[in-house]
Amino acid sequence: MAWPKETKYLGKATPRLEGPVKVSGRARYTADVAPPGMLFGAILRSTLPAARIKSVDLSRALAAPGIKAGVTAKPTPFLARYYGDEIAALAGTSRNAVLDALRLITVDAEPLPFVVDELEAVRSDAPRVVADRANLGEGAEKVTGEVDAAFANAAAVVEGTYRTQVELHHPMETHGHVVQWDEDNEMTAWSSTQGVFGVRDAFSKQLGIPQSKVRVLCEHMGGGFGSKFSPGAEGVLGARLARAARAPVRLVLTRFEESLAVGNRPSSVQKIKLGADASGKLTAFQLESIGTPGHSTGVSNAGGSGGAAFPAPYIYRPAATRVKQGSVAINAGASCAMRAPGHPVASFGMESILDDLAAKLGIDPVAIRLMNDPSELRRREYELGAERFGWAKKFRAPGTSPGPVKVGVGCAGAAWMSGGRGTQAEIQVNNDSTLEVRVGTQDLGTGSRTVVQVVAAEILGIERELISVRIGDTRFPPSGASGGSTTTASVSPAVLDTCENVLAELRTVSGIEDPRGNRWKDACKRIGAAPLVVRGKWREGLSTGGACGVQFAEVEVDTETGFIKLRNILAVQDCGTVVNRLTCESQINGGVIMGIGYALYEERLMDPRTGVMLNPNFETYKLPGFADIPPIDILLLDMPERGVIGVGEPCTIPTASAIANAIANALGIRVASLPITPDKILAALGKVPGGEPRALTSARQNEAFTQLAALPTLAPVLSTAGGSHT
Amino acid sequence: MNAFAYVTARSAENAMESVRENGRYLAGGIDLLGQIKEGLTEPARLVNIKELPETGEILPGKAGWRIGANVTLDTLTRHPELRQRFPALAQAADDVGSPQMRVVATVGGNLAQHSRCWYYRHRDVQCLKRGGSQCFARGGMNKYHSLFTGCRCLSPCVSNLAVALAALDARVVVRRAKKTDTLTLAELFSAAWSNAKVHHSLAPSDLILHIELPVQPAVGSVYQQLSERSAFDWALVSCAVSGRLDKGRLRNVRMVLGAIAPTPWEVKAANTSLEGAEPTDAQFEKAAERLLREAVPQEHNGYKIPQARALVRRSLTRLVLSLQGTA
Amino acid sequence: MRLTINGELRELALEPRTTLLEALRLHAGVTGPKESCDRASCGACSVLLGDKAIYACSLLAIEAQGAEITTVEGLSRTGELTRLQQAFVDKDGLQCGFCTPGMIITLAALLRRTPHPTEAGIRAAIAGNLCRCGSHPRIVAAALDATGGRVTESLHVLQVHDHGLA
Repeated sequence: MAWPKETKYLGKATPRLEGPVKVSGRARYTADVAPPGMLFGAILRSTLPAARIKSVDLSRALAAPGIKAGVTAKPTPFLARYYGDEIAALAGTSRNAVLDALRLITVDAEPLPFVVDELEAVRSDAPRVVADRANLGEGAEKVTGEVDAAFANAAAVVEGTYRTQVELHHPMETHGHVVQWDEDNEMTAWSSTQGVFGVRDAFSKQLGIPQSKVRVLCEHMGGGFGSKFSPGAEGVLGARLARAARAPVRLVLTRFEESLAVGNRPSSVQKIKLGADASGKLTAFQLESIGTPGHSTGVSNAGGSGGAAFPAPYIYRPAATRVKQGSVAINAGASCAMRAPGHPVASFGMESILDDLAAKLGIDPVAIRLMNDPSELRRREYELGAERFGWAKKFRAPGTSPGPVKVGVGCAGAAWMSGGRGTQAEIQVNNDSTLEVRVGTQDLGTGSRTVVQVVAAEILGIERELISVRIGDTRFPPSGASGGSTTTASVSPAVLDTCENVLAELRTVSGIEDPRGNRWKDACKRIGAAPLVVRGKWREGLSTGGACGVQFAEVEVDTETGFIKLRNILAVQDCGTVVNRLTCESQINGGVIMGIGYALYEERLMDPRTGVMLNPNFETYKLPGFADIPPIDILLLDMPERGVIGVGEPCTIPTASAIANAIANALGIRVASLPITPDKILAALGKVPGGEPRALTSARQNEAFTQLAALPTLAPVLSTAGGSHT
Repeated sequence: MNAFAYVTARSAENAMESVRENGRYLAGGIDLLGQIKEGLTEPARLVNIKELPETGEILPGKAGWRIGANVTLDTLTRHPELRQRFPALAQAADDVGSPQMRVVATVGGNLAQHSRCWYYRHRDVQCLKRGGSQCFARGGMNKYHSLFTGCRCLSPCVSNLAVALAALDARVVVRRAKKTDTLTLAELFSAAWSNAKVHHSLAPSDLILHIELPVQPAVGSVYQQLSERSAFDWALVSCAVSGRLDKGRLRNVRMVLGAIAPTPWEVKAANTSLEGAEPTDAQFEKAAERLLREAVPQEHNGYKIPQARALVRRSLTRLVLSLQGTA
Repeated sequence: MRLTINGELRELALEPRTTLLEALRLHAGVTGPKESCDRASCGACSVLLGDKAIYACSLLAIEAQGAEITTVEGLSRTGELTRLQQAFVDKDGLQCGFCTPGMIITLAALLRRTPHPTEAGIRAAIAGNLCRCGSHPRIVAAALDATGGRVTESLHVLQVHDHGLA
């Protein structure tokens, strides 16, 4: 059975099931959970960017009023590898008691040399982040075709260096858990997580207890964006404290800690060379890049890569490509997956240089994409989008906008695999017609709860009000972690399958051939005292991957002040079968707005001299606010035949690229470094007297690429598909 | 936060007495509580000064207005006559923080606030201003820092109100240990110009009582700022101008810039260069150039110079339009 | 200390350093207002003090005595959703919901003063509230909807059947 063609709920606008409890403050998040006897936990963190922690003395802290337990993060001696690294943790009867007592912990720390700037870290004389390893690693070169010949024969070649910043997830709800052990040494954790099963298994492994003795709950959570797949150090420390104290412990991070220690999107410095024939068809591509994933990759232990590599040449397919990517360690928090890992980074370099090439050849940016984009769907999206956006009227040759406030337009495209995978579900049908769907999945704000209800209502042909949805519990049938934009595509087919099984059971029990719709009540009446409990699981044919998407941006740039104002953004997005257009629209808005932050405001800043993070707060790590967000127009392609495809990540990939291209179009000059802030605009326009802005330190960049080139090159890997995926 | 006692002062003497021996004045509390939470300060006692008599009112007067130190920024922005008479002040207040902040933030607190330099504010960096030996902004990450300074500290004055009040020729009435002083805005911040360890000229027990704003007939004022975010953000550069038009010529112009020096930045010669001048772009540019002539850009804040120039020109343009009744 | 929370007088034993947010969440069991930054920079902790929205994280509980403190739970006496809350549900003015109590409170304060705000007025009123999920457009739509304002549709759905994709 495929998705029904005529639908009552599927593809319509369905308000969020948990909307009422969220808007009335009744929804309980991790920090709202307070089992009786609960203690508060807090972590002592390294104030040095690199140190050998020789000993940790908890005795004075343990003797302080209200303190019930204390643990060291690891057996001493151990290394602290960044400012904020975990050293120890305490649990006590009040938050103040614990915070006061943290100051009584004595740490014997030997400061070590450190480096926090990736361009410094590549140097052979830089302090090593990990003792027996050079900071710069990887560097495998991938080659397709005859690259040097292709460049030699190209009619036009452009080169440039493009930089992206380290970006932080900053969900509004920080990381945290409430952990409780019972008398049988069984553990319950109320976790703010994107993956209850992944967290359960990680707890089990790290605490040395059987999986069957760990239960993880997540009824409501306040955002993750890729950073909440694992329990993190904070989860394990909280669990250890609770075990030691024999009392539940709530350990929730502060915004300061959230900034330092729970993951980030790696940075990039991309040196790109692009060649094309006279008509604009791409013929040659070369990329050397380095980026930093902090002191190590992969805080996350489930789903998505957190490393500095990314697909290149992203969505395009010139025949000849040479790609060499390196990863450089610094003394900073480790990276992890962040909404479409690698893709916004890849997109920025590729889409920027493509526009630079188009400008050199005098070709319209949409035209050059139509000529080179291998995806028929994306090409159609560009055409639909260009028309809706009014591209032909708005586009001017770069830098030809009159007046001091220059207007420009830009566009870019995305690809994201997503797809669905094994998920199981269970439905309990009661004789009063009500039913409960149970799935061990999560709702990050993505609307998965509501998706479950919509699918069940549609397949069973009954009102939504009859359907309760329970999620976020490892005692329910398993679902994968909510990442990779796979949840809707995983859960929907599982619910459909389960509903079909329900109908089959009900048919047998009731004797009613088709128990759907107006026969539902009668059929249920015949269930008897014991409710029906029916299982089902994900199966092929109902969901797939391969979302695309293109975005257009129009901007104004004030060339006297450098101030950038977004006029409007258009997102043309496909996601197969639209399940709920209301929550789908919200996800797309969300991706675009995150892209705006990436384009114009956000950057994690480390201080080279002290090694601390300079902006571990919302004051100087700037998220876009209401005044910064332009009208966002969405053209959503509903393609039911493709099945359900996830949308959460594709919609954030091309935004910054489209904005950066619009700025370059407005000015006729490329600002090749994110975030694009007023100071960089003025520097690009040659209006800044005095020192060179941080982002344009070309000498240091050259050094970095020399180091990358010197990395041992493995035998070039010849592949038929150049370096990226679709 | 560390544990502290809380007392409410009923008089200025009472307040000054209570704040001795590691006490701090508590007005709106946004800045102070933030400092305590970061461990930058550990007062033994918070002295609530919001109940001090005659500090909570806006008192219009024919010759001058008096604005109590405890008047909230929200109250300032909502006072119709004040908005009309002193537009720069109302706009400066409106650009501070967010609505939630403005209903508790006070005039006095905005003037007395501490540096926002991220080294100063960092819990684990002991910078020069906090008693250490080094200004980390020098040769460091100084994107938000001063173009002018007379000392080693690069931290600028970020009080929006200070800039507007300076342009409006306001006075700040301060109760001190032995007397009450009436200070210009320049005097209020002058100590910070040469002393890296302070944020302004107030001693820890000094109490701002009220602001005095002279009524200057026919004088208009404008305040504008540039920020990275369009709302709820500190100014990169702020600007207040005041002046009048006399037969189409500018008179008594004052131009003040904020967020680029430890004091509101004003240059007399730049002001007087516009005395009797025609209000043209060329004149405005010249005045801006004079105002910024001594700027010393650091590694990362040179962009503030073109921004300040643009802001001065645009503020003067808006001032003229408002005086001509065509704004 | 005696705090009047959602119409109820509560007697709580609190240290002077206790913020109003801590008093509400940790001592009075009122968890609607959220802690997200604790530094007056995000608005998730917004509550009404009288008719004004303030950051509960940045006010000492001791100074909230004598005032009417209203949290998101107390906006409706009957427990039914207010028109604004219902509009948030209908127009999807939320995703993860963590910023939502703060948004609702701040908008409730606006509506007490200005029952029919303009879009610019709405944006200005919630400038001090952050949202990471990017619900801004829907939040504005919800506020306009609740106050009889005009909401422009920004979602257009195109059914596409002719394509060569699986």
